[in-house]
Amino acid sequence: MAYPTLAALIMATFLPFAAFLLIMIFTRMKPGLSARLSIGSVAVSFVCSVVLLAQNWAAPGPVEYSTQFLASSGLNVQVGFLADQLGLLMLTIVAAICLLVQIYSLGYMAGDPGFSRYYAFMSLFAWAMLSLSVSRSLLQIYVFWELVGLSSYLLIGFWYEKFSASQAGKKAFVMTRAGDVAFFLGIFVVLLNAGNLGVLELNGPTATRMPHEVLTLSALLIFGGIVGKSAQFPLMTWLPDAMEGPTPVSALLHSATMVAAGVFLFARLFPFFSLSPEAMGVFLAIGTISMLLASTMAMVSRDIKRVWAYSTISQLGLMIMGLAAGGYFAGVFHLTTHAGFKALLFLCSGVFIHHFGTNDFYELGRSGSRGLKIPTISIVIAAAALSGVPPLSGYFSKESIMSALAGLSNPMWLLAGLLGVFLTAYYSFRVMFVMFFPKSVEQESGHAHAPDHAGYRAMTGPLVFLATVTVLLGFFEAPIKNFLAGMLVIDLHAPETNWSHIAALVLSIAGLALAWFEFGRRGAEQVGFVEKIPPLYRLFAERWYLDHIYGLFVDRVIDRGISWLCWQNDNKVIDGAIDELAGGTVEGGRISAFLQTVMIQYRLLAIFAVLVFLAFYFFFEKI
Amino acid sequence: MIVPLSHALILSAILFGLGVFCAVSRRNLIMMVLGIEIMLNSASIAFVAAALRWQNLEGQTFVLFILAVAATEVSVGLAIIVYAFRRTGSFDPGNYNLLK
Amino acid sequence: MHMEPANFPYLSAILGTTVAGLIAIMLIPAEKKELIRRVSATFSGITLVISLLLFFAYDRSMGGFQFVEDYSWIPSLGIRYINGVDGFSLPNLLLTGIVFFTGVLTMWEMETRVKEFYALYFLLVTGVFGLFMSLDLFFIFVWYDVSLFPMYLLIAVWGTTRKEYGAMKLTLYLLAGSALILPAVIFLYFKSGLGTFGFVPLMQSGMSGTIAPWEQKFAFILLFLGFGILAGVWPFHTWSPVGHAAAPHAVSMVHAGVLMKIGSFGVLRVAIMLCPVGWSYWAPLMAVLAAIGIIYGAFAGLRQTDLKYVIGYSSVSHMGVVGLGLSTMTVEGLNGAVFQMFAHGIMTALLFSSIGYIYDRTHTKMVPELGGLSRVMPVASTFFIVAALASMGLPGLANFWGELVVFIAAFRTYPPLGVIAVLALVVTALFMLRVVQRTFYGPVDEKFSKLQDVSFFLGVPRMILAAVLVIVGLYPSILFDVIHTASAPFINGLPK
Repeated sequence: MAYPTLAALIMATFLPFAAFLLIMIFTRMKPGLSARLSIGSVAVSFVCSVVLLAQNWAAPGPVEYSTQFLASSGLNVQVGFLADQLGLLMLTIVAAICLLVQIYSLGYMAGDPGFSRYYAFMSLFAWAMLSLSVSRSLLQIYVFWELVGLSSYLLIGFWYEKFSASQAGKKAFVMTRAGDVAFFLGIFVVLLNAGNLGVLELNGPTATRMPHEVLTLSALLIFGGIVGKSAQFPLMTWLPDAMEGPTPVSALLHSATMVAAGVFLFARLFPFFSLSPEAMGVFLAIGTISMLLASTMAMVSRDIKRVWAYSTISQLGLMIMGLAAGGYFAGVFHLTTHAGFKALLFLCSGVFIHHFGTNDFYELGRSGSRGLKIPTISIVIAAAALSGVPPLSGYFSKESIMSALAGLSNPMWLLAGLLGVFLTAYYSFRVMFVMFFPKSVEQESGHAHAPDHAGYRAMTGPLVFLATVTVLLGFFEAPIKNFLAGMLVIDLHAPETNWSHIAALVLSIAGLALAWFEFGRRGAEQVGFVEKIPPLYRLFAERWYLDHIYGLFVDRVIDRGISWLCWQNDNKVIDGAIDELAGGTVEGGRISAFLQTVMIQYRLLAIFAVLVFLAFYFFFEKI
Repeated sequence: MIVPLSHALILSAILFGLGVFCAVSRRNLIMMVLGIEIMLNSASIAFVAAALRWQNLEGQTFVLFILAVAATEVSVGLAIIVYAFRRTGSFDPGNYNLLK
Repeated sequence: MHMEPANFPYLSAILGTTVAGLIAIMLIPAEKKELIRRVSATFSGITLVISLLLFFAYDRSMGGFQFVEDYSWIPSLGIRYINGVDGFSLPNLLLTGIVFFTGVLTMWEMETRVKEFYALYFLLVTGVFGLFMSLDLFFIFVWYDVSLFPMYLLIAVWGTTRKEYGAMKLTLYLLAGSALILPAVIFLYFKSGLGTFGFVPLMQSGMSGTIAPWEQKFAFILLFLGFGILAGVWPFHTWSPVGHAAAPHAVSMVHAGVLMKIGSFGVLRVAIMLCPVGWSYWAPLMAVLAAIGIIYGAFAGLRQTDLKYVIGYSSVSHMGVVGLGLSTMTVEGLNGAVFQMFAHGIMTALLFSSIGYIYDRTHTKMVPELGGLSRVMPVASTFFIVAALASMGLPGLANFWGELVVFIAAFRTYPPLGVIAVLALVVTALFMLRVVQRTFYGPVDEKFSKLQDVSFFLGVPRMILAAVLVIVGLYPSILFDVIHTASAPFINGLPK
């Protein structure tokens, strides 16, 4: 029993890495083979993860395999696999989304000159994220955490000839790096005070031995990493820019990998974090701020991918709110459902973008995006799930977050959450109505009809699958809850307050209705209420000026401030002093050169004079 | 008749003084080399006389060495002078000031 | 200290091969450039093989000095020809072997004065090898100077940017360093009263307190500054970017990859191991200078526009990590520092090797003039990007482990400095990614669109270096196991 499990874990995590190496070294010139390698490896991972999930569905506790690592460096670090309920659930989600996105990319990326490279990076991404989900210790999580960052850097900047793409990749890497440094320091604090980095140990008795202040400090530092990865306030601005990558990459990035890693880490260390109520308070505040800020940004954007990007930030904020409010299951379940419908949203948008060649959804609506039947139906399902419309998966997970928030003593958080629900419904259906009920449709022949070729089929296949999942997943709430409950000793909140359910439902319907009123009804002018208040509109459209602040900071403080000072110090002070010293030596030589009179005989004379003098001196000294 | 040591030393001192004067005062490179040769030879005379006085052959051995060294020194010195004459066209030591 | 004599004289074989290579190159007529290159590659390949054999033949369970060869040289002064390796020098010898061989291959396309170049290059490397393996202070000093002298000519004759200035500056700085080292060595020689320059007896007298504490403090600061100049310790680092930028590619590789390691290795081998009391006295100063160097190098690197200057400043920052590890006085700190020496050596060698390829094609190394090279030469760009990622401390590549271990040790000993050092990771990432973006991304410049990508043969040296980075990155214990055999007994044997 044990060895097959271990073998399955190894296969599930390492095959994509093997695919990455093979593609990079051998099959760069053979796109077809590269894609087959990559998809094949991730398919095997998916099968393995499903088998593991099924096998452990009823298992009582976590399965752990570990081995000493770096023993001789003086550190005592255990590495290995931790296959518990959360890890296996995440493994399955990641493998499934990766597989679907890679199949989808067959159509989307067809004919791109970097096709092989694309699949190599995709495999790297899959490897890093799969390994992250079943990592045993914090150090191991950090390693794969960074590799996830690297692969998203490479994929966001995939079309590197575009300046904005390479800029976005760099921005994503550096901003998440800033968070990761906090995470890194947090690991040190934990290691030095608890002497152990194992996830189970930290969630168990080890952490309680740490002094409370140190525990809070380490929790806050580790949360810094989550803020960076999950694009929370104040490190949120990289995520909208990350839209420069190919759309399937965005789908992957926003659903199950990069940004999900942050929330996953939160869930991983949930018992550890909940030992410090102060830290949990901070997390709750940051989640709330991010959720509201991102929702406001989404209300004014005209770029379909950016709207979904903002919605990702706000949904992640919602998950963090749920987790920080003590709703462990609520956060994880929303992570699961969100992975499904967000991937669906991006993949559908990708079909439209690929077909019509624009990101502006006003433009898409005008060009007749309604013509593509399968993507249209799928995207509406996904948007409805995002808004929390009843029979869909998003409804169930949002409800559980709301009930977690309702369990808090301060009603402010619940109100903020409900406002978020309203805004989410409003901005997602704003997009839907503009796209599918445009004011005028340019009738272009051929364009509005669904194409029928292999590429299109490769793209729509995953859509149908994901739409089915989105519709059905909500009904599996109870089984998943039971499954996860097996691992968690402390589930702080299980209150059933009905009124929060109803309020959330009412507010999401209200948001939908407002969107219909402004954008959907016949004769609507399709201008949102925010756009009628110019200062507010500008504030939202400029993303609360966060990017400006960062730009100014990097330019003024780092580039022209500290960096300039260091460089000037090197040039003027240190080198200046050295050059002065050298110049002084040369000058000194020039002065002493006056002693040299050219005539060799003067020196001879001097030598003899000195000799005679010495001879007399020694002669008379004797006497 | 055996020449007393003091006579030989006086001769050697006179010769040395002449050599010094020649090396220091003549503004001609060849004469300077000659002066140095005279000084070397005066030292040789002193060595030979001392060897005779104390019946010790080391003094004579030393003279042989001095002869050999003087021969090489003159050849190297003259070679340099010839080369220097070709470069500057004069034997005046005051003209060699390239290193200044 | 355990001394295990050698069955086969590996160490003299390495020195003998480089000297034989030097003589062979001198005997070949200067016109036969292809032959000279092949001979150089052969001899440097042999040294690489021997150093690899040495690395794997070292008995990790026994530790101590192994493969010791001991012959009397000048008995009246107590100077002996003693060679031996321990866990500190073994990774450095392997590093030198790798960089030496790949450097020869990197310069394959050079056409000016090939014979003289390779002859001086071999002389330089002979000195480096000798320094890493010698166990006699007199020889350590001699090898130090042997490796400095060819450097001047190599930069002044074959260099590029402000080469006379760079060469002169480098030589003056390093001679100043050697002027500090020599008095300290002689001082220790007399104060120990043993009449020997042998490393092991001197170390024992340092440990046992025969050399008084104030004497150790005095000698330590001289030795630390003397070797530290070579290791690019802030504020004596300005020679290094200038020198890196002026030197020809292979010399930059040896310079940043190996020569700076001589400095930090000298600090470890001579200053720290001979004067442990001085070490514990001056350690806080070392730590502060190192931390300033880490953050300062990163910030100064941010403003550079010359590719080699960027790498030069990143070297200052990374060597600061080595210095920080050496100042922590812990097993982890020493482990991490020596590991980082190796990792940084390979990483900068790869960076300079890639820059060399790019410069030979585009005839510029100014970042603003480049751009879009990833389209034209994807393989060459990949090599550079791999090295740049390693320099940002990305897990999975070698540098991460060295930095991790050093940071943890520093965090334990000097928490504020540890935090500062970790913060530099963000700045390093920022400037490395900027360089990568401006050099390799973006649209292709018209004048570069006809350039060739790296051929298989010219790719070999870069492949070797990149492979080492990945292998050590995935399996860091391969080095830590070796280093630990030296660091743990040393730290445990320190006087309390």
